[in-house]
Amino acid sequence: MDPSLANNPQLIQFLTQEQERARANEVVAKITSSCWDKCVEKPGSKFSSSETSCLSNCALRYMDLTMLIMKRFQQ
Amino acid sequence: MDSYSSPPPHMGGGQSPEAIMEQLEAQFAEAYAEEMLETLRAKCFDKCVTSPGSSLSSGESSCVSRCVDRYLEATAIISRSLMSQQR
Repeated sequence: MDPSLANNPQLIQFLTQEQERARANEVVAKITSSCWDKCVEKPGSKFSSSETSCLSNCALRYMDLTMLIMKRFQQ
Repeated sequence: MDSYSSPPPHMGGGQSPEAIMEQLEAQFAEAYAEEMLETLRAKCFDKCVTSPGSSLSSGESSCVSRCVDRYLEATAIISRSLMSQQR
């Protein structure tokens, strides 16, 4: 690879952003996987309001749980 | 064939940072799509094919279609839910 590209600030910033994006996507993927199992019994032609709130609540509870575990783990 | 007449197709062969970023972006998108496909396959098989028969029934097929739509929707719901929390 052209050595000057390795230090290119544009590329470095781009790669950092992509890494961040990939990390965020991975979190969403993991949570969606768990919450889908918990909230959706059989896929319909649209989500019921209870399925929708289950899914968004599920994501938030997952984050709460993460906080709780970190706190506990650090004690 | 003159191997020096054009830069090799791999990255860094005299390409601009913009071209490289574009290539990388396409690769990241492809990787994401592949992973999503794997997930959809597993999830929708689990939900829709509860007792495998000698072929996919029309009920199972429509279940799979709905499943794909709903799962992508679920991904969006959860993504939005998490983003709204980051304030």
